Amino acid sequence: MSFLELRSVERRYGRVAALGGIDLDVKTGSRTAIVGPSGCGKTTLLRLVAGFDVPDAGTILMDGKVIANASGTVPAHRREIGVVAQDGALFPHLTIAENIGFGIDRNAPGREKMISDLAYTVGLDGHILLRRPHQLSGGQQQRVALARAMARKPKMMLLDEPFSALDTGLRASMRKAVAEVLENAGITTILVTHDQAEALSFADQVAVMREGRFAQVGTPRELYLKPKNRMVAESLGDAIVLSATIADGWAECSLGRLSVDTTERRDIARILLRPEQISLRSASSTDVAAAKPGAIFAEVSDAEFAGAISTVAVKLLNNPDSPELAAIGNTPLILKKPSVESPAVGEIVQVAVSGKAHILE
Amino acid sequence: MLVGAAFRMTQTIAQERDLVTAEDFLKIPRGHGWVSRWMTIAAFAITFLTILPLPFIAWIGWQTGWETSISLIFRPRVGELLVNTVMLLVLAVPLCTVLALALAWLTEFSDLPFRRVWAWLCVAPLAVPAFVQSYAWISLFPGLNGLWAGVIISVIAYFPFLYLPIAATLRRLDPALEDAAASLGLTPWRIFFRVILPQLRLALCGGALLVGLHLLAEYGLYVFIRFDTFTTAIVDQYQSSFNGPAATMLAGVLVVCCLVLLSIEAGVRGNARYSRVGSGAARQIEPVRLGKLTPLCLALLIATALFSLGIPLLTIGRWLMAGGADIWRFDEIGYAFYQTLVLAILGGLLTTLAAIPMAWLSIRAPGGAQRALEGLNYLGGALPGVVIALAVVTITVRTAHMFYQTMATILLAYTLMFLPRALVSLRASIAQAPVELEHAAASLGRRPANALWATTIRLAAPGAAAGMALASLGIMNELTATQMLAPNGTRTLAMGFWALSGELDYAAAAPYALVMILISLPLIWLLHDQSQRMAGR
Amino acid sequence: MRLLTTACAGALALAVMCTVASAQDAEGIVVYNAQHESLTKEWINGFTKETGIKVTLRQGGDTEFGNQIIAEGAYSPADVFLTENSPAMALVDSFGLFAPLDADTLSQVPEQYRPANGHWIGIAARSTVFVYNKSKLSADTLPKSMLDLADASWKGRWAASPTGADFQAIVGALLELKGEQVTADWLKAMKENFRAYRGNGTVMKAVNAGEIDGGIIYHYYYFGDRSKTGENSANVDLHYFKNQDPGAFVSISGGGVLASSKHQKEAQALIKWITGHAGQEILKTGTSFEYAVGNGADSNPALVPLKDLQSPKVDPTNLNSTKVTDLMTKAGLL
Repeated sequence: MSFLELRSVERRYGRVAALGGIDLDVKTGSRTAIVGPSGCGKTTLLRLVAGFDVPDAGTILMDGKVIANASGTVPAHRREIGVVAQDGALFPHLTIAENIGFGIDRNAPGREKMISDLAYTVGLDGHILLRRPHQLSGGQQQRVALARAMARKPKMMLLDEPFSALDTGLRASMRKAVAEVLENAGITTILVTHDQAEALSFADQVAVMREGRFAQVGTPRELYLKPKNRMVAESLGDAIVLSATIADGWAECSLGRLSVDTTERRDIARILLRPEQISLRSASSTDVAAAKPGAIFAEVSDAEFAGAISTVAVKLLNNPDSPELAAIGNTPLILKKPSVESPAVGEIVQVAVSGKAHILE
Repeated sequence: MLVGAAFRMTQTIAQERDLVTAEDFLKIPRGHGWVSRWMTIAAFAITFLTILPLPFIAWIGWQTGWETSISLIFRPRVGELLVNTVMLLVLAVPLCTVLALALAWLTEFSDLPFRRVWAWLCVAPLAVPAFVQSYAWISLFPGLNGLWAGVIISVIAYFPFLYLPIAATLRRLDPALEDAAASLGLTPWRIFFRVILPQLRLALCGGALLVGLHLLAEYGLYVFIRFDTFTTAIVDQYQSSFNGPAATMLAGVLVVCCLVLLSIEAGVRGNARYSRVGSGAARQIEPVRLGKLTPLCLALLIATALFSLGIPLLTIGRWLMAGGADIWRFDEIGYAFYQTLVLAILGGLLTTLAAIPMAWLSIRAPGGAQRALEGLNYLGGALPGVVIALAVVTITVRTAHMFYQTMATILLAYTLMFLPRALVSLRASIAQAPVELEHAAASLGRRPANALWATTIRLAAPGAAAGMALASLGIMNELTATQMLAPNGTRTLAMGFWALSGELDYAAAAPYALVMILISLPLIWLLHDQSQRMAGR
Repeated sequence: MRLLTTACAGALALAVMCTVASAQDAEGIVVYNAQHESLTKEWINGFTKETGIKVTLRQGGDTEFGNQIIAEGAYSPADVFLTENSPAMALVDSFGLFAPLDADTLSQVPEQYRPANGHWIGIAARSTVFVYNKSKLSADTLPKSMLDLADASWKGRWAASPTGADFQAIVGALLELKGEQVTADWLKAMKENFRAYRGNGTVMKAVNAGEIDGGIIYHYYYFGDRSKTGENSANVDLHYFKNQDPGAFVSISGGGVLASSKHQKEAQALIKWITGHAGQEILKTGTSFEYAVGNGADSNPALVPLKDLQSPKVDPTNLNSTKVTDLMTKAGLL
């Protein structure tokens, strides 16, 4: 059942439409990620849900009850929605304990214990409770912000790019920790981020946002493997998009005849391959000469070593006859390969594709 | 009279990096409907009051009849005053600027011994009211009079207003830029002119404007040395005819002078206000070695300190010695001290409260309309106290008898005069309390007013206190408006000093001057300290 | 929020308290005092001691207060108005704002020192003098008449305080004695010749320092300084024009009770006290050195007696301060 529902929600600032008719359903206890570049409206959406702002049109329902529409709004302090902001938004004039306890009634019995329990839950050492926010590292600050938001036992948690200010290593571990904490507490969560890996790994449901609208909403797997269009595909990871003709579950393209995930027939279509679907095998020029029909060879035109993974650019050698395909074949494919097996520049490789290609709109 | 407003410059500069971006525009807190609404209404009301003198002058002009008004404006006497005023500005402001620039460079960039002490000594003259400076000089050189006397004493009394923002900006300059310039082959001298000076444009323009406005508004300083400006002439007219049209028309010309000054500054400044001044990093590089020039530079600082602090203190000391125990009329001085304190504290408090709506709007809901409104606030603050007092006295005596000669009225006038000081301090400190904190508090179950109190107001408190201190400082040394508006029986320290020195009883006036300086000093020290901290030191 | 509310409420309460406090201070009567503060303080100290009536002073200038009282009209907070010169009294009286003085008060002062209508009364008098530096001028080089100062030979050699009510009263006398044309011409020449100082004391100080040869002031500044340190009068002497010259004008300081006063009894009592024996005695014994005007009251023996001054006869009710301010504004002196 949907815990949060957004129906045709609009928000404009002057002539700029920050949100242009948004629909979204968030299931109870689930985690939804909204991903998009900065300025796409995702933070506005979060602010509407939190109650910091009101929609110009449309309705927001929580637990089946209207919490905001054009005529009225439940103010933020009565929504029981927790928020963790990008920089934590800790109160600089209060200690960590006071920050965490900010939302707990001053006279609530066992307040001290609640605060230390919360600190423990988010993985904070008890000894930092008397410090001030500026004495904490970025990761610690985010944990405090989370603990502070959880102190109210919110029905829902909104995370506004909470990990973006952290180091790469810390980011992944914090993400996992936060997901666990929220999972254990059973709190419905919305995460706003511009980091696709974060969105895909964190959420049960991902919404890709562009210019105030959702381009596509679905499970991470669905969105990654079967995006509606090139934009969605590219916003969730590296994409290789090729022109192809489709017939009987097969696509004809510069990489030969590939299996596709549909049976429809189309003369001209665009198909999506993820780079990890393409494998390279060492070959030689004699192999090229003796190639069987359908075998695809390429020459490595550029290789960039970057530690564990290297980026390799390969140019197809045996172009099929069609001139359009020839044009596409000339632009190199950019692939990421483990450095231990990545080919050197000038090397000839045979190209193979595993899995199915996905047809884009 | 507007002592201490230079601090606001310092703070503005310190806050440049927190300038509102387009991103913030998208954060208009519509959710805080009632707060926004009331803040807007209050800001409009207060702004209306601050610019009241402008329609007032027009009203009097219309009532007097345009023909008479014009004959009162275009007469030789006004021409003389105009020449005096313009000459004073043209000479004193550049001199002030050069002196302040030299002092700021020496105290911030050079290896001069005891730099921190000198820096403090460059700010301390703010505690000496301008009319006390003049009193000190005239005691020492009784024949002193005219334009050059005016220029010299003005420079001495007002250079700290330029020193403060310049020093604050210098402190925050990115040393990397100088290094870059040096690596591009510029000599230190050329680095100063091509790299440092351009970055000081904001501080220089703002400070010079401040000094210019002070000179236009100053009264006591020029009376001692018999130099007539529009302000002294307005007071003369007032003393001859109470609120006659001649005084109001002179006020009209004075207002035009202020407007001209404001627009010159706006023109010279250009877009500097919206540019980034520095990274905010404290300057931690090697100071420039003065070498053989050290004695010369020390001499400049010693001379400045001697003129701006030594002469007033020596003169006051001399008169105190001459006056002996008789001049310490503790009942009268004590009463004046008490009244000054009450007025300063209440006025400061009221001014700060009145500044809250505009400051809140300018940070939380910036936009074209808000900028225009805020601009009008600063315009009102640029008007000399005598113009505001004239308007308030005439309006209350003609149409609002209830408020005539009441505490409420003089506090209102103080609020109008010193609003910009409180506004700038508050604005800077509210900018330090991001709206996200307010939101966080709301999402943690606090009602809007409670959220505002627990976050923004709490965090803005130090800035508000600084603003209040600035306003109080101004009120303590205020003379003209206080004399015109104070309730019957009021005797502030400044009034007491003025009455006694007016009867040439310089000895009896000395204790008043001393008390004024002594109560200003700690405030100046606090503000200096705060401005240094805000500038990242 | 509670704290904010408390702070606001506290501020308001304090403001109210102060207003109340100042209102309580204003208990008793309010005097708009354009006389020297030190003299008036001597008077009210004696008055309060004797009658127990509290007096609050507001300090200002003659014409400033005159015009202020007119602007305030029926709402004037003032009960009593004391001046240094007559024009401001005449001005206020011309608007009918004075209450008639009690007969026994009027009888304390000879007729020549009060207007016939009895709306105000002379409380003291001062004589115009030419103060000069003894090393710069001598008896034969002194001006014979104040009008001589318009002569080009006096250019840059004499001083005055044109913004003060004192000098404006002298101009008022000139206007009354010689008419508008002569006065306007004289003021025009004055603008050319004289040097402006603020305050008569400052004029004398400048003359004493040799900054300038002489100046038009009132007599008591000299005697006051002589009685104290004498530092501003050691090198100067006074020249009395006499001969009924406009420069021999004796100005009458006035006192009156405002019709709008709600403390008529107390206000009348103050004027009566000042013009009575005790008040006039202060003029003789105090440090003001102004002339006493009460019946049979003696002035300070250091002064040249009033009757020897050969002052011109000027009806104080005819002195027109508005006209004087206008003429001086036109001449560019204001």
